[in-house]
Amino acid sequence: MLGPGVVRDSALARRNPTVKLVVLFVASVALLFVLDPVTPALICAAGLIGVVVGGRVPVRTVLRAQLPFLVFAFGVFTVNVLSRPGTVLWQEGFIRITVEGLVVGAALALRTLAIGILAIGFVLTTDSLDLMTSLHQNARLGARPSYALMAGYRLLQQLPEDWAAIGAAQSVRAPLRRDGTVRRTPAAFGRAAFALLVLSIRRGERMAQSLESRGLGLAPRTVWHPIRVTPLDLVFGATVLATLAAVITAAALLGLLSGPAALF
Amino acid sequence: MPEVFGVRAVDAGGADAADAGGADAADARAAGAPAASAAADASVASAAVEAAGVGVRAPGREAPLLADVSLRLAPGERMLVLGPSGSGKSSLLQVLTGVIPFSQNLDAEGTVHLDGDDVTDRPVIERSRSLGVVAQDPSAAICLARVDEEVALPLENHGVPPEQISARIDEALGLAAAGRLRERATAGLSGGEVQRVALAAALAARPAVLLLDEPTSMLDPAGVRAVRSAVDAVVADGRTAVLLVEHRLDEFAGPEGAARLPGQAIVLDEGGRMLASGPTAQVLSENAVRLHDAGCWLPLDAELLAITGHPGGLASPAVREWLRAAAAAPAPADDVKAAPAPSSRPSPTSKRSRRLSAFPSTTSGADAASHEDRGSRGGMPPHDREVVLAAQGVTVGRPAPGARPERRGTGQDGIGRRWIGRRGNGRKRPVIEVEPVVSGGDLELRAGEVVALLGANGSGKSSLLLTLAGLLPAGAGEIVGPRPSMVFQYPELQFLAHRVRDEIAVGLTAPAAEVAGIVDRQLRIHRLEHVADRDPHRLSGGEKRRLSLAAMLAHDDRPVLLADEPAFGLDRRDTVATARVFRDEAARGRAVLFSSHDLRFVAAVADRVIVLADGVVAADGPTAEVLQDAALLRRAGLELPPLVAWLLTTPEPPFGTQPDAGAGMARALRSLYVATSHQSIAGGAGGTGGTAGAVGADGVGDPHTAVAR
Amino acid sequence: MSIHTRPTSTPTTPGPRSRSLFAWQLKDIMLVVVLGAVFGFLYWALVQGWIALSVATGPFGDLTQHVLLGGWLLVAPIAVAIIRRPFAGVIAEIIASVIEVVFLGSAVGPLLFVAAAIQGAGSELPFALTRYRRFSWPVYALSGLLGAGLVFFYSAFRSGWYGTDLFLVRLAIQLVSGVVLGGLLAKVIVDALARTGVVDNFAIGRARVGA
Repeated sequence: MLGPGVVRDSALARRNPTVKLVVLFVASVALLFVLDPVTPALICAAGLIGVVVGGRVPVRTVLRAQLPFLVFAFGVFTVNVLSRPGTVLWQEGFIRITVEGLVVGAALALRTLAIGILAIGFVLTTDSLDLMTSLHQNARLGARPSYALMAGYRLLQQLPEDWAAIGAAQSVRAPLRRDGTVRRTPAAFGRAAFALLVLSIRRGERMAQSLESRGLGLAPRTVWHPIRVTPLDLVFGATVLATLAAVITAAALLGLLSGPAALF
Repeated sequence: MPEVFGVRAVDAGGADAADAGGADAADARAAGAPAASAAADASVASAAVEAAGVGVRAPGREAPLLADVSLRLAPGERMLVLGPSGSGKSSLLQVLTGVIPFSQNLDAEGTVHLDGDDVTDRPVIERSRSLGVVAQDPSAAICLARVDEEVALPLENHGVPPEQISARIDEALGLAAAGRLRERATAGLSGGEVQRVALAAALAARPAVLLLDEPTSMLDPAGVRAVRSAVDAVVADGRTAVLLVEHRLDEFAGPEGAARLPGQAIVLDEGGRMLASGPTAQVLSENAVRLHDAGCWLPLDAELLAITGHPGGLASPAVREWLRAAAAAPAPADDVKAAPAPSSRPSPTSKRSRRLSAFPSTTSGADAASHEDRGSRGGMPPHDREVVLAAQGVTVGRPAPGARPERRGTGQDGIGRRWIGRRGNGRKRPVIEVEPVVSGGDLELRAGEVVALLGANGSGKSSLLLTLAGLLPAGAGEIVGPRPSMVFQYPELQFLAHRVRDEIAVGLTAPAAEVAGIVDRQLRIHRLEHVADRDPHRLSGGEKRRLSLAAMLAHDDRPVLLADEPAFGLDRRDTVATARVFRDEAARGRAVLFSSHDLRFVAAVADRVIVLADGVVAADGPTAEVLQDAALLRRAGLELPPLVAWLLTTPEPPFGTQPDAGAGMARALRSLYVATSHQSIAGGAGGTGGTAGAVGADGVGDPHTAVAR
Repeated sequence: MSIHTRPTSTPTTPGPRSRSLFAWQLKDIMLVVVLGAVFGFLYWALVQGWIALSVATGPFGDLTQHVLLGGWLLVAPIAVAIIRRPFAGVIAEIIASVIEVVFLGSAVGPLLFVAAAIQGAGSELPFALTRYRRFSWPVYALSGLLGAGLVFFYSAFRSGWYGTDLFLVRLAIQLVSGVVLGGLLAKVIVDALARTGVVDNFAIGRARVGA
């Protein structure tokens, strides 16, 4: 399956995780204020090229990872097409399609996909633990929250197994359907979820004790493998943001760009 | 701050080996050590750990968890903490680590000195400069994704220069015999490997004191061996003081016996008070009776001493004579004169199972009778020895194989491949692709028998049980029989209700009044009446296990009980109680199939043994017969405990190769289980230490309620 | 071996009670991480069914999503009620979103951090107004209401709901969901957790004993 950091060797994968996160964040926020279809479409194209070439992520993988974004984009699009008032293009009973709905819907859908591509490029080329280590070292995230999060990652790894075990243990006394299979009710899901919560809270408390007994929180501490922000990382960040700015500026000069005002 | 080192170097005394490495450790420790340490007074400074007048109390509760405990360990000394469950052993270690009172809502009193410093007012992380800790739960012992990162963490925290860290990781892993694990991902480690890595992480910063809180309680025998040899290697330098809480003493001590246990011991009683302290051998022999009667597991020699009154263990003729008498004696249930009234149970069992039922029943005759009544109405099989569950050509797969991507938090297999319960009323189950662990397994369970499922870790015992329970789809084959019941190794997983009483009632479909009767009966049998209204999660470990059994056995319409490692981690009293419940259920006509690593438990309880090895059912036969097959045991990675081995190999009757050997062995082992100490029944109605069969259930049953909190 | 050396005085150690409101212990941070991990995992489990649901309900699929929105708010009130320190709710939500983005590879990307911070602030505000002393049904309900209410305006901007016909319908659905799933359900869970004893060593356990 797809997961954080599956692509380990590429230009994008070698960049500092914190720098990548900051770039992605800035780009996402900037795109929030773009409400025309053309600009996000251009970003989509540029992002796809960047992720496929720079990240060496196979196109198929990118598309597969885009699936949730596509679903969301489709929802946003249809909602706007059907429920946004404006110049009526076509109407049949309750169903009404407007020009504004089409334009804004397409803009929002493409924006979703653009942010999606960038996020996929980030997630697939960034190892979770490298990111945590980098946030600790480069973004001055404290040692305790950093390592608590890394311990949380280990806990997360155990959750599917715990979940399966709880499911099995609780179905022993569960009522059966007529065909002999266990009836899965929302209440049963809730009880299993609660059992998982109790188990994990207890484990978390013990993990905290383990970490403290190993001196987490003492100062000064040293770092075994320092992670640095290299000039190349800065060049990378500057390049991506400059490209973004160039596309938006070009769109504005050509009169294609529209902002949040399009909503109202 | 060289003073710290100075103190330590003096402490370490003649241990030359310590000096070379000691400097770095002290540097690391000294980096942030408060200046106050230099002021430590000289008499205190010579101890690695010293606790005085330590007590623990829960706010608002009158009875303390721990009261006025004092101990002192010099560098390189080892000490064992003994006591029944609930005696505050873990609390004692937590007072030393600072978890109490700094991380728990408990009040502590007394003073703690570590490595010469008064640390009473210092929190856990400050104390970590001189402490290494290994706790019992492997799933919480490791917090990072890779072994080397895990061991590096304490070094980074203690400010060890980065260029030294790699070598120090090797050193620590080497001490814990875990050098080969350095590059491994922690997610794929076995329990024994996890605890060895945890040990390495605890040692990485070269602590003055190592605290081990039942580090092997969740491990299989191979894991226990691994941790034991690692601890041995650690203390070999004579520098690190070790404080050990452990209840599987025989397994921890290994083949060389009690001589390998720590040299010093302290004993805590049920009220958390200090009962005795001194050299381990002396403490054990002087307190064997008391500890035994409080429900502690003891090393075999001490246990035999407590029960028979004779020292020397299996080598002693008097002990042997006791065992022989126990094996030959008629079971209490058969001998009205020897057995007190509550033990007799009118139950229509076969000749064979009556012969084996040496356990005095916990159930009164009336209970048993009413149970029989319900049984005949409610679907319990009416005929003894009838096949109640049959598996033909079953292939069993792992539920969540290592196929899960290592670096991913959630996987399809956790949720995607649901463990769907089946209804096996003779119907064929869907064939699902699994990674086979056991292939083509055939087995039958008959009413009234107790069967043990043996095999090394990863041999598929749990998966087979889950498959038989209909909770894991079979890869191939057919399972025929009504819906079985099953109890799990971790009872918390099964809990559904917020009160013990309601928990037992879950899934019962009888009219309310009848349900109340069933619940009351289960509460009584499993000694849970005093906690009937408590939340199940608030029970002690033993109580939780008893509750999960009670909740399952309340279902009279399930003729099969499956149990995954039911004896794991239980104290002596709960082990005996579990054994007794299994025999009682079998006598009522249920079939019991349980997996276990504890061959003494197996030999005491099981009529029949099924061994899994190399992905197949390697053996299926009467207990004594299978356990006598040395080649088979080796193949399955099993090791006989000395007591069982002795019983199986002694040539004279009623043991060894005699036709009745299995029954004799089982009688001897069950008598040992239920026997109170020779002193506590001397002069009582039960008989003397010399006669085994005459031991009543009362002596074992009563004190438990007092211990359980 | 000198044992039983009773000290001249048995000082009672200063318990955790004397610590300031702002000092987080590692176990508190870890609790928040655990909540984030478990709820992240459960959401992930729920989302599998949810995407199917929203596709099945066609064009109004995203309306059905609003019904369950409140479930996303749970972490904050639970964390506040157990830890009882300022910013517990905000930090809990942010950590939960970090887990979703960094470890679970959430589709939303880092914009989730922003949503989480807003949600957490909204959920925490009512508790903060009681100075972390009252944990009654109305406070929880208000917490859910504000949590859902504040973040709605951000989501509406992000998803382009402004100016559409269903704007008020969406707001109403989300507020109700917030109150029920993000507020009242949180109290049910917190009370159940308190009964099990797993949170006895946190501030909520101290309050229980002290009461």
